Amino acid sequence: MSASLQRGVNAFKEVIDAPVAAFFASCVHCGLCAESCLFYTETGDPQYTPIHKLEPLRRVWQQEYTLLGRLAKLVGLAKPVTDAELAAWSPLVYDSCSMCGRCSMVCPVGNDITLMIRKMREGMAAAGHAPEGLVTATQRSIQSGSPAGVKWVTVQAQIKRMQKQFGIDIPVNLENADYLVLMSSWEILNYPEYLGSVGRILDNAGATWTLSEHAYEATNSGIQIGVSDLARELVGRIVKAAEDLKVKCVISPECGHAYTALRWEGPNLMGRRFGFEVKHILEVLDDLRRSGRLKLKGSIDKPLTYHDPCQISRRGGVHQQPRALLRQIAPQFREMSDPGVMNWCCGGGGGVSANERAEPLRTIAFKRKKAQIEKLGVNTVVTSCANCRVVIEEALEHYHMNIELLGLTELVAEHLAED
Amino acid sequence: MNRPADNTLRIALSDAGISRRDFLGFCATLAAAYALPASSVIVIAAALENASRTSVIWLSFQECTGCTESLTRSHTPTIEGLILEQVSLDYHHTLQAASGEAAERAREESMRANAGKYLLVVDGSVPLGNPGYSTIAGVSNFDMLMETAKGAAAVIAVGTCAAYGGLPAAQPNPTGAVPVSQLIKDKPVINVPGCPPIPVVITGVLAHFLTFGTLPELDGRGRPTIFYGESIHDRCYRRPSYDQGKFAESFDDEGARKGWCLFKLGCKGPVTHNACATTKWNNGVSFPIQSGHGCLGCAEPDFWDMGSFYKALSMPATPVRKAVAGAAAAGVGAGVAVAFANRAKKAAAKAAHETVKVEDLTKKP
Repeated sequence: MSASLQRGVNAFKEVIDAPVAAFFASCVHCGLCAESCLFYTETGDPQYTPIHKLEPLRRVWQQEYTLLGRLAKLVGLAKPVTDAELAAWSPLVYDSCSMCGRCSMVCPVGNDITLMIRKMREGMAAAGHAPEGLVTATQRSIQSGSPAGVKWVTVQAQIKRMQKQFGIDIPVNLENADYLVLMSSWEILNYPEYLGSVGRILDNAGATWTLSEHAYEATNSGIQIGVSDLARELVGRIVKAAEDLKVKCVISPECGHAYTALRWEGPNLMGRRFGFEVKHILEVLDDLRRSGRLKLKGSIDKPLTYHDPCQISRRGGVHQQPRALLRQIAPQFREMSDPGVMNWCCGGGGGVSANERAEPLRTIAFKRKKAQIEKLGVNTVVTSCANCRVVIEEALEHYHMNIELLGLTELVAEHLAED
Repeated sequence: MNRPADNTLRIALSDAGISRRDFLGFCATLAAAYALPASSVIVIAAALENASRTSVIWLSFQECTGCTESLTRSHTPTIEGLILEQVSLDYHHTLQAASGEAAERAREESMRANAGKYLLVVDGSVPLGNPGYSTIAGVSNFDMLMETAKGAAAVIAVGTCAAYGGLPAAQPNPTGAVPVSQLIKDKPVINVPGCPPIPVVITGVLAHFLTFGTLPELDGRGRPTIFYGESIHDRCYRRPSYDQGKFAESFDDEGARKGWCLFKLGCKGPVTHNACATTKWNNGVSFPIQSGHGCLGCAEPDFWDMGSFYKALSMPATPVRKAVAGAAAAGVGAGVAVAFANRAKKAAAKAAHETVKVEDLTKKP
């Protein structure tokens, strides 16, 4: 089997449903989505207008599912989608879109453009036009369990380190626990303190928790590359492990799209409800805070701001919780411009950070975040997505900016008032 | 101050027992209506007082005399009525004392003496069907209108019938009634619609002509914008309850008693342009909505055919006709057919789906 144009166009036909047809039919070509898109505002290049990135999908809709389009096709007036065209569109669909969802917020007729990009990637991947970096990451996810090739032995090594560093016991494969803790590759490799922090907080709250040998990786390259068949397999691994261990709740880590994959796309991919709850770590922390099981002490004596990860704040709705937590420990918290659901992406979401081809464009797109941080005049930025963190750290290096970047969960653990 | 001549309005008004205070009050109302500065009140008063007779010929065609009633049959003689009758009116077959040939002679004489200068006021629509449907002294309405309009400075179409055809032109329009503006094309036609129009609106137009020698500014439908520029709804004192979503649901429910908006009871205020909500009726006593009944929309074209007076504007005015219903059904049918075809196509695409494995992500050479 091989990728082919035919499989790609067939996938386009498959993903066009009533909402997509309604979106295309109701687009008024106002161009407001351009102004909302990071890749357009930072380059001024009109090819990055979000709705334009969907042009091949729109034509398939028109030619296959509308009366006039079908007539045009019948008499040979329609321009069929070609392989060369899809190749030309690959950078638009994968490099210049982080599926941040900002365009969907501003569309005056309510079109969820981001959802359509997600669907269009199904056809692009089936036609063999996914970028190499994402293909490799996806292959590694399926074959080794993690897009970065992190194996269970690596996790075991980090468990030992964290047990020692935080003085906690990290349970593995514990049945009937309250929480199953997942991580992203970045957290295993770059920010292992996340695991120790979560452990300390949950232990202190009197909750039972566990890791699973069979499902430690939360990220889902299948969602990013746009192959539901593979995304389903990756989500399925977590669902099976959680249900086998009979945990009550699975905690999605500080990773944006992992939350989207597990919480929102997951049940649709599996075609059923899960036998457990899915929560982002910030939701869990704020729940514990409100029920009095998480008490904080001390404060950070410097001005700082919060970078909203798109999939968590805008697409996920978790934007009040981080602020409630920060208010307790950061008296000098300053809000960035366009905070919460209208935040600006770091530029590396939706698989862009795994796509080497996109790196120059991603660096240009970061200028928006750079300007936001500089305007605020803070030297500390807190966020809750390991991917944002890596992307921002790399960009800060590139632009020689001396900014400290912190993960919110670690920050909370540092201010834990232990009983 | 110059002593006014004996045949001026000043004398006529004082003879009729109208004090100068009342008269200046009327002038101030007009000045306000035309958005003129306060200093212009005296100008208007002087112009009206000293205006020598501007001849007005009033022709009544297919009408009910309600417009004349509106102007003249108030419970006391009004300044509006007096201005019209005593200063200007040379011919009005309801009001004049003369009858028969003498009456018609008065009209012809006035037309000859004031050629090119007189104002022609028309109430009622003109039947274009059988000329015998409506005649005066054996002359058809059409012939009389065309003959009298020839020497007029301007034509004022008073009432909805003259302005838009009104009740006689309602479906199925058996007499072929048409408005004045459809027949007179070579000189200004001012429409003063309403069934009947507000008296001050009629004389307001007349006073403008007497004071300034010109006609007031008109909108796209030939109406003076000062009186018809805004809708009843926009000036209605019940507008706040509309904005708050408070509606009377029946004529005797709590909402009606509390004076809430009558939109749901069929009020046509939102689509009706007239001055009722500001000038009101019967010397400013009230207007229909204030009396608890929705606006009928009488100053708008085809108000008689706009559907039930008690049907809310948001509902279709006329029952959905067969052709429309058929077209809608055909549309639904076509929609269903297309939907089924699309569903089949999508199902075929689903069936043709081959599970994507990691090896399938690249093209094999």
